[in-house]
Amino acid sequence: MTSRKKFAQNTRATVFYTIMFAVSLIWLYPYIWLFLASFKPWNEIYTTFIPSHFTLKSYSYILSIANQMGYPFLRGLLNSIFISVAVTVSVVITSALVGYAVAKVQFSGSKALFNFVIYQMLFPGFMFTVPLYIVVRSFGLLDTYAAMIVPSLMSAWGVFMFSQSFKSIPNDYIEAAKIDGANFFWVVFNVMIPLSRSTMAIVTIFTFIGIWDNFMWPLIVMQSHPKMPLAVLLAVFNKTYGSYVGPILAGSVIQTIPMVIIFVIFRKYFLQGISMSFK
Amino acid sequence: MKSNVRTLKRVENIKGWFLSGPYWIFAAIFFGYPFIWLVVLAFSKWNFISPRETVWLYNFVKLFRDPMFWTVTWNTTRFMLYFIPMALSLSIALAIAFARAKRFKTFFAMSFLIANVSSGVAYSIIFTQLFSTNGPVNNFLYNHFGIFIPWFSDPNLAMFSIAIMVTWKFIGYYALIFLSGLQAIPKELYEAAEIDGATKWTQFWKITLPLLNPSIVMVMVLAITLTFGIFTEPFMITGGGPLNSTQTFMMVIYTDAFLKYEPGYAATMSIVAAGLSFALILLTRKLIERKVDFA
Repeated sequence: MTSRKKFAQNTRATVFYTIMFAVSLIWLYPYIWLFLASFKPWNEIYTTFIPSHFTLKSYSYILSIANQMGYPFLRGLLNSIFISVAVTVSVVITSALVGYAVAKVQFSGSKALFNFVIYQMLFPGFMFTVPLYIVVRSFGLLDTYAAMIVPSLMSAWGVFMFSQSFKSIPNDYIEAAKIDGANFFWVVFNVMIPLSRSTMAIVTIFTFIGIWDNFMWPLIVMQSHPKMPLAVLLAVFNKTYGSYVGPILAGSVIQTIPMVIIFVIFRKYFLQGISMSFK
Repeated sequence: MKSNVRTLKRVENIKGWFLSGPYWIFAAIFFGYPFIWLVVLAFSKWNFISPRETVWLYNFVKLFRDPMFWTVTWNTTRFMLYFIPMALSLSIALAIAFARAKRFKTFFAMSFLIANVSSGVAYSIIFTQLFSTNGPVNNFLYNHFGIFIPWFSDPNLAMFSIAIMVTWKFIGYYALIFLSGLQAIPKELYEAAEIDGATKWTQFWKITLPLLNPSIVMVMVLAITLTFGIFTEPFMITGGGPLNSTQTFMMVIYTDAFLKYEPGYAATMSIVAAGLSFALILLTRKLIERKVDFA
């Protein structure tokens, strides 16, 4: 009786885990296919799943021959890294400082500031695409790195996240630091931020991935290939040379890998961020 | 003492304005100023170069008479009709499976979430290839079932195919939201139901689903917001076709502003699209939001 019950339970568990693994593999399949296809000889891309032999032809094509055709992908990768890092560093620092003002400084505008941040988050970003283009254009910033970086240097969402996290830190910590003669920069960077490490990680990851993956805005403001981020360069290349499937897939791998690495390293914070940022 | 308090207050004021000053200035330039432009544009006819002409409500009248606007509204509706039921049911099922899994938890969660961090351009390229006429999905279907599906080339199917892609990308993310909702439901409720002889199926409909209400509302709001922002997939894969069946609001805003040089009309379109998404979110909340009492 008990052994039969146990057997039934074991069978159920086996079926459950088999299904879960199968479905997980279906979800991973596009990535696996992409990765394998980028190393395939070009005539095998659609015909085999496992390539007969691995070749770097697609990578050498996208990194060197495409470069000679006016599509500098290595530079595109560096552009993406530069833009994403610059925006992320700025957003984290400014959000922490402004978040501190919202949460811990009792000044005449603190309520207005908090309400304004919430108000800003109400509007969907797409409403501002066209007018922001006109603003950036009127500053003469079209087709410059500044066009991609400057409008994202501060973020209402980042301020909101930091202020919520700072509010939960007792004032005693700040008072103690002040008695030791610390100014507020020191307090923010050496007391507040270390105490809200997971908020910092969440703001960092989501900002970085958001900018790395941003497509429409750089597509609109950038014209010259050498200054384009990887996503836009890849899209433009794909529009003109869509039949070069191998190199395009290699480009997609290069475009995706950094995000996957960041995700795998910081998965703990990523999971936290999903359940936290919407509460 | 009193003057002490006053100086303290002054110090706090200086500190607060000093810290938040740059943010106010930044927001004035990159939020306030574009906001004014948005309103100005909506009342203007302009091609970026020649003098701007104020046409008051002309753009709005034009919009409601524009067949493209109605096509896009219909496309957006269709997308939501495919995407929201698919995403909701699959991600709730996935969340229940996550809650059940004792082992390999991280592997399962990672497999589904890695789809979510894929770059929009790269995953559009992958799915173009996977679903292409002679791509692996059609090869598989043809070899095993003798059928062939024109995923992106059939006007009735193209939007559905995009909905499948977006579902692939987002259900891991939504499932985690549901998982935290599931974990908030007290175990005692299920134990009590078990004693009363309720089947698992009844428990799901009478306990799980009603108590997941806050998560359901949250996911629906996220899904609606996402729907109105779709751009990369149609831009990369279908270009809005076939027969405009995958034109989205963002595609039309992009085309009108930057290819047809009608920023005024595009701004009007974005205001109306934002209004529609707001209205839809309010309607959703009104229709399905319930006060959940865990006691």
